[in-house]
Amino acid sequence: MSVVRVMGPDSAPGPAVPWRKVLWERQPFPDNYVDQRFLEELRRNEGIRQYRYWAVVKEAGFVGQQLSCVAIFITLWLYMEQGLLSPERLLLTSLVCALLGYGLHQALTSQMESGCELRTRLADLQSATIFLSFTFGFSPVLKTLTESVSTDTVYAMSAVMLLAHLVSFPYAHPSTPGSLSLNAALFASVCLASRLPGALHTFAMLSCALLVFAMWPCLLQRLRENAPSQFTGLCVGVCIGGVGGLGSQSPGGAVLLALALGSVTLLCPLLLVMLQRHKDNIQGPWDEAEIHEDISHFLH
Amino acid sequence: MGQRRRAVTNPSSRRVSGAPADVARVPSRKHNICMVSDFFYPNMGGVESHIYQLSQCLIEKGHKVVIVTHAYGRRKGVRYLTNGLKVYYLPLQVMYNQSTATTCFHSLPLLRCVFVRERITVVHAHSSFSAMGHDALFHAKTMGLNTVFTDHSLFGFADVSSVLTNKLLTVSLCDTNHIVCVSYTSKENTVLRAALDPKIVSVIPNAVDPTDFTPDPSQRLDDRITIVVISRLVYRKGIDLLGGIIPELCLKHPDLHFLIGGEGPKRIVLEEVREKYQLHDRVRLLGALEHKDVRGVLVQGHIFLNTSLTEAFCMAIVEGASCGLQVVSTRVGGIPEVLPNDLITLCEPTVRSLCAGLEAVIAQHRSGSVPSPASVHARVRSLYTWRNVAERTEKVYDRVSGEEVLPLDRRLRRLRAYCGPVAGTIFALFAVLDFLLLLFLQWLVPDRVMDVAMDATGPHGLWRPGPSSKVSGTKRAAEKDSSS
Repeated sequence: MSVVRVMGPDSAPGPAVPWRKVLWERQPFPDNYVDQRFLEELRRNEGIRQYRYWAVVKEAGFVGQQLSCVAIFITLWLYMEQGLLSPERLLLTSLVCALLGYGLHQALTSQMESGCELRTRLADLQSATIFLSFTFGFSPVLKTLTESVSTDTVYAMSAVMLLAHLVSFPYAHPSTPGSLSLNAALFASVCLASRLPGALHTFAMLSCALLVFAMWPCLLQRLRENAPSQFTGLCVGVCIGGVGGLGSQSPGGAVLLALALGSVTLLCPLLLVMLQRHKDNIQGPWDEAEIHEDISHFLH
Repeated sequence: MGQRRRAVTNPSSRRVSGAPADVARVPSRKHNICMVSDFFYPNMGGVESHIYQLSQCLIEKGHKVVIVTHAYGRRKGVRYLTNGLKVYYLPLQVMYNQSTATTCFHSLPLLRCVFVRERITVVHAHSSFSAMGHDALFHAKTMGLNTVFTDHSLFGFADVSSVLTNKLLTVSLCDTNHIVCVSYTSKENTVLRAALDPKIVSVIPNAVDPTDFTPDPSQRLDDRITIVVISRLVYRKGIDLLGGIIPELCLKHPDLHFLIGGEGPKRIVLEEVREKYQLHDRVRLLGALEHKDVRGVLVQGHIFLNTSLTEAFCMAIVEGASCGLQVVSTRVGGIPEVLPNDLITLCEPTVRSLCAGLEAVIAQHRSGSVPSPASVHARVRSLYTWRNVAERTEKVYDRVSGEEVLPLDRRLRRLRAYCGPVAGTIFALFAVLDFLLLLFLQWLVPDRVMDVAMDATGPHGLWRPGPSSKVSGTKRAAEKDSSS
């Protein structure tokens, strides 16, 4: 095999044969040769999504309304704690809201083809009955659960858990609330509810928590899918309700909430859109290949 | 360079940064090379055998080579391998995956000892995963030695961990004299990762010892077609794809057998597949293989399958082809550069594409239209040899030894300019501290009072492949020397 032995850095460039990106052929080029085709397979920002400001604001609205939901829940708890809201009234309102929401949910579901919908109304009723009866039965226990823990600790724990709920909430697919976010929210509600004056208060608070943290996101997701324009309005409404409600109890908190909402729904999308043009994502043949197929069916 | 050679007689003139221009371009110059990597025998892998084989060929060419790695278990101190190749197993703490912990400073005293005693002129670090290699580069630049780095792996750009490691690579390579990559894809990757000038990056492929991998068709069973897979059983090697290919093809071809060598966390996937489809007699899992046993497994097969998802060079397919097997592989990383199209069937990294590629090769086998193992071997044997690798690496050393090592002030400026204001400043500070530490060490024990190690290899090497008494005499002398 006669090979052209011109290798190693800084050798003189060879004859006018085109360079090839192969290693098995000894080519008349130095080892540190840089061809025109160097990096030709580099691809930049492939499949990039161009965001538009108002579309991002709309999506961010979901985050804002979830923040407001937490604020509304805290407001209700503050009212309960100060005795301004009786548990009977809260229960009644919750029941009415639940029934209205359930009806709306059913209406929106039947609009879609009910291919994936397998739960019957009887099953829904069963779950509701089981949950309510157990919560009612256990509410005296829950009421005294944290008695031996200092109030500061309980508040701090609730704050951390509500924060965890907001952070871990699955904003993209809220119809199946993430187990972490839902558990964190319910843990916080149990903590807060156990500081209320009576067992019925605890029961009302927990039912309300379930409504706000478990059912409401499902309904909202349905709205987002089927009625986008109403969804936006609803988000704005919830945000105003959250700020207003908190304002009636603590004006400082309301200001802070309004600032947080403003930055989450208006400022952050602006940053995202503005930083978008600095995005420089590079791909090439060196990237690890991804397995897109579902291989698990070979196993199960 | 030349001054450093004279250091035997006049050790006080050793600390120079950069080389005098008049001796810069003598091609036949012999170098004192120090290979540094966390990965060396008894650890097994591509980097390890690369360092060993390259060192042996460089010794053959008359250079002096020593290898520095960290202690493996009870293997610490100085060891000698074939042809007087000296290996320092330094007592540095291993942190993760056989890579040492790095503080940028603590390895300086030991490495300085090695560099000074062995009169090293070129420090050659291997593998971007090796913290010790980067440490050695850092100290070598502080000591005014020329540096070369070989990158053996590909890296992505997408996640946080790669952003961080790429930043560290930028810091480490911005003032390294020359970089070697094992394929053009690897070069593109490294140039992008470390923001380098592509002119200081050479492509020198890996090699395979063709005498180790010779075909032996008599080992094949004629009543079946055997597909051989030899790879660590990990995600990056595409073992999940293999788990999809096995049932698909075994159902279609009743005479198809799989022979799988290697061990790893994905073994369970293959075992489940074997269990579910009752393929115990047709899919054999051999477990971890010693390097010497690989050929014995390869020659039993007709087809070599590689399902890697990323690969800088892939020695395994060259070994398979060298044993005369038909190679089927995924088209990822540097693999398309490695073998000519008639020796390899490239497929997309999907079960369907790999099955199609394998079926095409199986059909060729049935019709008898595949080239004979001997003819495949004859084609592959001259493609990648270690002598060729050593020859090309030698040219890199020749070039590097003519270059100057940046003095501290320009090194600091380079770090600030290339690595960004934050990382650049931090590492410039580290470089200053490293320099001060070096001055302190030189004040404690000046270079000129340090013993010079016996040369086993190189122009003045004492190693003679002869009676064992002489060999052990040299070894004793050197070990005494290094422990004093």
